[in-house]
Amino acid sequence: MTAVEIPVEKWSGTVRDVTLGSSYGGGTRTSTVTVGGETALPFLDFEGALPHRPALAVEVVDMEPADWSPELVAVWGDDLKDPAKWAARAVAEGADLIALKLRSCHPDFGDRSATDARATVDRVLAAVGVPLIVYGPGTADKDNDVLVAVAEATKGEQLALGLCEEKNYRTIVAAALGNGHLVIAQTPIDVNLAKQLNILISDMRLPLERVLMDPNTGALGYGLEYTYSVMERLRLAALMGDAMTQQPMICTIGEEAWRQKEGRAATDVPAAWGELAERGVAWEVTTAMTLLEAGADILVLRHPSSVGVLREALDDLMKGA
Amino acid sequence: MSDGSATKARTAMAAITFTPSGETIEVPAGTSLLDAAILCELDVAAPCAGQGRCGRCRVRVTAGEVERRSNAGLETAEILDGWAVACQTYVTGAVEIEVPERRRETVRPHGHAVAEPESLPLGCDWRQNPAVRTFELDIEPPSLGDNTSDFDRLRRALAQQHGVEEVRSELPMLRRLGKDLRMANWKVSVTLEMRDWVYGTYLPPRLIRIYPAAFNHASMGVAIDLGTTSVVAYLLDFATGRVVDSASAYNKQIACGEDVISRIIYAKRRRGLERLQNLAVETINDLLDELQKRNGIELYEIHEVTVAGNTTMTHLLLGLDPQYLRAEPYIPTLSASPKLEARELGLSANMLARVHIMPSVGSYVGGDITAGVISSGMFATDKLTLFIDIGTNGEMVLGNKDWLLACACSAGPAFEGGGVAYGMRASSGAIEDVFISDDTWEPTFRTVGDAPAVGICGSGLIDLLGELFVTGLLDKSGHLDLEAPTARVRVRDGVPEYVVCRAGEGGADHDIALTESDISSLIRAKAAIYAGFEVLCRSVGVDLADVEEILIGGAFGQYINIEKAIRIGLLPDQPVERFKFLGNTSAQGAYAALLCVNIRHEVLDVAAKMTYLELSADNSFMDEYTSALFLPHTDLTGFPSVVAALQKRGDGADARQPIT
Repeated sequence: MTAVEIPVEKWSGTVRDVTLGSSYGGGTRTSTVTVGGETALPFLDFEGALPHRPALAVEVVDMEPADWSPELVAVWGDDLKDPAKWAARAVAEGADLIALKLRSCHPDFGDRSATDARATVDRVLAAVGVPLIVYGPGTADKDNDVLVAVAEATKGEQLALGLCEEKNYRTIVAAALGNGHLVIAQTPIDVNLAKQLNILISDMRLPLERVLMDPNTGALGYGLEYTYSVMERLRLAALMGDAMTQQPMICTIGEEAWRQKEGRAATDVPAAWGELAERGVAWEVTTAMTLLEAGADILVLRHPSSVGVLREALDDLMKGA
Repeated sequence: MSDGSATKARTAMAAITFTPSGETIEVPAGTSLLDAAILCELDVAAPCAGQGRCGRCRVRVTAGEVERRSNAGLETAEILDGWAVACQTYVTGAVEIEVPERRRETVRPHGHAVAEPESLPLGCDWRQNPAVRTFELDIEPPSLGDNTSDFDRLRRALAQQHGVEEVRSELPMLRRLGKDLRMANWKVSVTLEMRDWVYGTYLPPRLIRIYPAAFNHASMGVAIDLGTTSVVAYLLDFATGRVVDSASAYNKQIACGEDVISRIIYAKRRRGLERLQNLAVETINDLLDELQKRNGIELYEIHEVTVAGNTTMTHLLLGLDPQYLRAEPYIPTLSASPKLEARELGLSANMLARVHIMPSVGSYVGGDITAGVISSGMFATDKLTLFIDIGTNGEMVLGNKDWLLACACSAGPAFEGGGVAYGMRASSGAIEDVFISDDTWEPTFRTVGDAPAVGICGSGLIDLLGELFVTGLLDKSGHLDLEAPTARVRVRDGVPEYVVCRAGEGGADHDIALTESDISSLIRAKAAIYAGFEVLCRSVGVDLADVEEILIGGAFGQYINIEKAIRIGLLPDQPVERFKFLGNTSAQGAYAALLCVNIRHEVLDVAAKMTYLELSADNSFMDEYTSALFLPHTDLTGFPSVVAALQKRGDGADARQPIT
C-alpha cells in the first residue's frame, strides 16, 4: 500500500508582524499582542508558519450603550456604566486587548471634548495592562480632534487608532506617526480599495508594520459570504507576495452580530430560534469562526461567553502550529 | 552719434536657419533658440514657458556652435546627436536648427483645414479596381434598319468601345435616357459605378450619369466621418484618387443631446427620430454644399458617398429606431449597410450615388471602429496590436490579421471637457498644456491659439491631473493636499480645488480651477478605459506588455501626450515607441473604402471577424475598474516608469510629510 501524499502549497509572501502595546519608551502595558506573520492560509500549519495566534478583543464603550441587545446589557450589568471597570472585567473574561470606542464625543451622543476623551483613555489604560484599540466617534472633524489629542497624550503606548478611512486618513496617520501608534485602515469590502488605502498610508511613510486592515464585515446571514471572499482574496494576494495586502486583518464581529434581529429579539420569534442568550452568542461565534477561517487576525467581540468559546476553539485550531 | 548707439550697432548678430521650414532669422548673439523660434512663428512646445524645467522644447543643432546653459532631461547620446533644450540654449554664431515635427495643436476640427489622409491601407489598389469611372461614347444613331432600343444601344457601345459588359440602369436614369442621348447627338460621357457591391455580392456596372461628351464634368466622391460631436467630409476626385478638399462642422444633433445615450432618449420623443435624421442629413448637406461651392462642382458630380459613424449615428442617419441599442441585450437593427442611394437619404449628391455605410460590430462598436481598424492596417499585421479610439466611449480592438476582439467602455465626457467645472473642447483659449513647479506649486500653461485662458480641454486635464499628482499636491486616490503651502489649493463651497489660472492671469476674466469632483470624474474616465485594456487582454490570455503596437485613433487621440497619459494610468506603461497616433481613423477608413472597392470587402470581413466583448456581461470588468481607480493604478507593478518618476521627485514632495 502506498501512502497518499497530501499536496502542500508553498507561498512566497508573508503577512507582516504587527505588535500592539508597548511596555517601554512611554508604554505602560504589562502585555503586548503580536499578530500576523502567516506564511500559509489560516490554520494550515502543514503548509507554512502561523507564528501568532489570532487575538480576541472586547469592545468597551465610553458611555452606557442605549441601543445594545438586552442580552449584552444583562451580561455586563453595571459595568457598562464605567469603561474602566468594563475593561477590567473583559480582561478577566479572557480578552487579549480592549477596543475602546469614544462614542460620547460624537456630536449626536454628548459631544464630549477631546480632554474628556483623554481622561477616559487614561482611566482605561490604568485599569488594564493589555494593549488598547481606540476608535474615534466616527465623524471626520471630531475624529481628527479627539484622536489627535489621545494620540499625543498616550505617546509610546502603541495604541491602534481607528477608523482610518480614505477620506480622513491623513490626520489619523499623522497622529499615529508622530506618537508611535498604529492605525486601523477600514475600507468598504473590496480588495482594491483595501490595497489602495494601504498604499496611501504607506505613502505618508507610516511603516506598514503599524497598519491593521479592517476589510469591513457583515454578520452571519447579512453578507458574511461577501466579506469571506474578499478577505480570502486579500490573504491570497498577501501570500502570493503583494506587499500592499500583507497587513493583519481586524474584524468588528460583535458590533455586526449583535445588531441583527437574531442577536436582539427575545420575544415574538419562532420557537425554533431558541433562547436569545444562547442564540446571540452562537451568532457572534459563528460569524467569528467563519472569518477566522478567512484570515482574521483580531476579532472584536461583545459577549464574554463568546470570548471563552473562541479561546477554546483557537487552542484547538492552533495545536499544531 | 552717441556712444550708446555706437555700442549697440557693434552687437554681434547670429544667423539661424530653421529646418525643415527653411525659415531664417538674424538675432543678437545670446538669444535663446526658443525666442528665435517664436520670432519665426515656429511651433516649439514650451509647457514651462521657457524656464528650463520641463525639457520639452527640444530642437536639434545640425550645424554651428551654441552655448548650452542646461541640458534638462536630455541623455548624453541625445546631446552628442545635437539635441538641445531650446529655452536653455543660446546662439553665438551662425547655426542650423532642426525643429522636430509636432502635430499642430491650434488647428481643431471646426474649419476646413483637415489634412489629407496620409496613406492608404494595404491592399488598396484603386487604379486596378476603381469604384467609379467615366467613359466617352460615340454611339451609332438608330435608324429604320437598326431599331435596337436606346439602352441596348448604349450597352452595345460600352461593350464594343470599352469592353464594359452587362451595364445596368435604374428607372430614373432610363426615364431621361432617350432625350439625353438625342440632345447630345449620340456623343456622350457616361459615369458608371463599376463594381456595385451590396451585401457582399458584386453586381454588374450601374449607370449613374449621362451627359454630352462635349462637356467636361468632374467625377467626385465624398467620405464622411459622422461623429457624435463633429462631422468631417473629404472630397475626393475619382480621376486622380486624391482628396481635393475637406470640411468639418459640429453635428447639428448636439442640440438634441451631447452624447449617444441622450440622443437615443431624444429619438423616443414624438418625431424625435425624424428630427435627428434630418439634422444628420442637414449637417452632411451643409458640408457637401460648402465643398461644392468652394470647388466649383455641381451636386450631380458627386457619384459616391461613404459614411463611417458609430452604431447610434448610423442608425439615426438611416432613421432606424435606436431604442434597442440602449436596452439589454443591446442589439442593433443591422450591422452591414443596406443598398442605399443618395436620394433615399436626401443627400446633396447625385441622386443615384450609392451611399455605403461602414458596417458595425455591436451596439457600441460601430462603423467608425471598423473603418479605423481598416485604416490602421491592424487587420493585416502579424503584430499583436491594440487599437484605441478615445472619446465619450472608449472603444478598443485587440488582435492582428488572424483575430480581432473589440469592446467599448463608457468613459463619460470628462476628457472632452464635459462634466468638468471648467472643462471645454479644444478651441481657442482652452488650456492644453500645463506644467506645475514642484518648488512653488505655481503652474505655467499654454492655451489653444495662445488666447486668454477660458477653460481646460482634454489634453490640459490630463496634464493637470498628472502634474498635481507628481508634484505631490494630489494623493493617489485623487485628494488634494489642503496643507500644502500654496494658495493655489483652496476650498470653495466645501470642495477642494487647485486654481490653475487666476482671473487676470494671461488675460483670463475668471478663475479657472480643477476641483476634487472633476478629478474624480477624470479618474473614473481613465479607469474605465484602462480596465477595458486589461479585460480585453486577459480574456485572450495575453499581458498588456505583450502588445507590440498601440495605435491611437480618434480626434482626441491626436492631442494626448503619451507620457502624461501613462502617468495618470490612462495608457499602459509601455515604451513610447510602441504608441502611434493615427489621427482621424474613422475618416481615413471611409476615404479608403470610397476609393477602393476591395476595401469595402475587407471592412465587411473585419466586421464579421471581430468578436464583440460585452463588458456589462463580464465579471472581471468591475474589479479591474476599481483597481484602476487610483493614480496611476492599484497595481503599481504595471507602471514601473511612474514609480521611478515618483521616487525621483519623491524627496521634494514628501518633505512636507511628518517623519518619525
